[in-house]
Amino acid sequence: MRDAFSDTIVRLAKADPNVLLLTGDHGYALFDDFRKECSSQYINAGIAEQNMVGMAAGMARAGFRPIVYGLSAFVPMRVVEQIKLDIAHDQLPVMLIGDGAGFVYSYLGTSHQSTEDIACTRAIPNLSVYSPADRFELIACMDLAYKSKVPVYLRMGKSDRGDVHMGVPQAKVGRLLEVKPGQCGDIAFIATGSLVHTAMNIAADLYSDAVVWSAPFIKPIDHQQVTTICAQSRVVVVLEEHSVLGGLGSVITEIACELAPVQILRVGVQDRFSEHCGGYEYLLKEHGLDRLAIEQRVHDFLKKTAH
Amino acid sequence: MNASTPNFSAKALRKTVLDMAYAGSAVHIGCAFSIIELLVVLYRNHLHYPGNDPLAANRDYFVLSKGHGVMAQYACMRELGWLHNEAFTGYFSDGSLLKGLSDSRIPGMEVTSGSLGHGFSVGVGMAMGAKLRSTEQKTYVLVGDGEINEGPIWEGALFAAQHRLKNFMVIVDENGFQAMGKTQEVLNLGNIQSKFESFGFEAVTIDGHDEIAIDNAITQFWASNSTAPKALIAKTVKGKGVPFMEHNNIWHYTRLDQHTYMQALEAVAGNAL
Repeated sequence: MRDAFSDTIVRLAKADPNVLLLTGDHGYALFDDFRKECSSQYINAGIAEQNMVGMAAGMARAGFRPIVYGLSAFVPMRVVEQIKLDIAHDQLPVMLIGDGAGFVYSYLGTSHQSTEDIACTRAIPNLSVYSPADRFELIACMDLAYKSKVPVYLRMGKSDRGDVHMGVPQAKVGRLLEVKPGQCGDIAFIATGSLVHTAMNIAADLYSDAVVWSAPFIKPIDHQQVTTICAQSRVVVVLEEHSVLGGLGSVITEIACELAPVQILRVGVQDRFSEHCGGYEYLLKEHGLDRLAIEQRVHDFLKKTAH
Repeated sequence: MNASTPNFSAKALRKTVLDMAYAGSAVHIGCAFSIIELLVVLYRNHLHYPGNDPLAANRDYFVLSKGHGVMAQYACMRELGWLHNEAFTGYFSDGSLLKGLSDSRIPGMEVTSGSLGHGFSVGVGMAMGAKLRSTEQKTYVLVGDGEINEGPIWEGALFAAQHRLKNFMVIVDENGFQAMGKTQEVLNLGNIQSKFESFGFEAVTIDGHDEIAIDNAITQFWASNSTAPKALIAKTVKGKGVPFMEHNNIWHYTRLDQHTYMQALEAVAGNAL
């Protein structure tokens, strides 16, 4: 996914001299190609995220197309107010990239882990929130963000989970993408980011009639499509490497409870910080987001809802 | 936009501020009065808006980062023909256009301020953009001395100096007060000029109510051979122009009643600034 990111920013910047890449002193090695091929469009703003995001707003007002890169724990979390007031308020075409979302920085602790970012950003008017699952969705999301000329927060999570698509999908802003077909009336898994892959594996092995959807667009999201999915499903399981408060699980639940009530299991971080240090898989286990724990939760939920 | 001849007299602008503050029962009069002469000189002599269009692509950028002084900017924008009288007589009425703090959706205002410390960075971004395009555009950011408590100001100052943004000027309205008291007693800023100098700015301190001094300082800055960004430290008086408001921080929050309004109008009318 990181190679796809690098390739895409180089492609966008070469095609449009107004594209500027701003980084808050992050992205070691990631920007080698960009710095080589588009050096005049690269700005290291230093360890000063608030100023970086404010500057991006000023550059956008002056006609540029800034892409702001930071770790998700800092962009958007540290700069929510700059995003709200300086960028979203005026619908400025700034692409905000939050890398390492979820538990990617499993060894570094709470400061670098980011499981609140969707909740914080999706409440900001005019701001779109994208959460690609693999390199192909990333390319589609970035191209749509560039073309749409609206402020977008693009969340990049664990980048080496493997592909969920065979190639760049025909994506449309707001539309969920089917990554595994299933039977009408069975289970619908709706996942975003790193957990799309997990949902596909669980469904493929244990619930062959279940349909699996990837949601690369958290906001806007196609209400009609979500309603149809919910109306056609026995139960819905939503998975995300993000808090269950305010993330994709909330989005689906909010729509369903108004338009197509269905029982929904929200799999995500249970309103808590990580306790321990360890590898990525270890952290997923700590939060009950590893494959086995999710299988168990789905099993228990299906048992409960069968009655 | 067409403008009749603007009357950028400090006296006329203060009267506009008083009229609208009284009409809207609005606060922050002292904050507006300390920057009147700075705005007079900027709008009359320096800010370049081709075709008098506040959205002209090659305009100079004026960022009022201390949004609390917004009534002074509204008064100037009326003189330019960008705002009409109804917006002033109906200030703060339901559904009206102008808010108590600046809103960037109104042409002529570059930021939505009120949360302090934002406009400086936006202005640095604009100046960087102008530098990248090699245009002649200048960026002016007006901040309050209380406002520079905010961290992003100093982040932006580092960036402006690092990238030699000689087209960028911060103007500090040093009126010595912030919302809850004297700046010295809240977070003492010490010598603001030397602070900006130590961050790599070319800086000068002047009387912020002396239009000639302001004009000369700005002219000299742009004539300078230095590639450093500029800091104009303007020593001002909060509430300037109305003796009972001057140096009296209650006029950060106090509303005019009929009596104080009439008194203030008299003071402004008799005050040959």
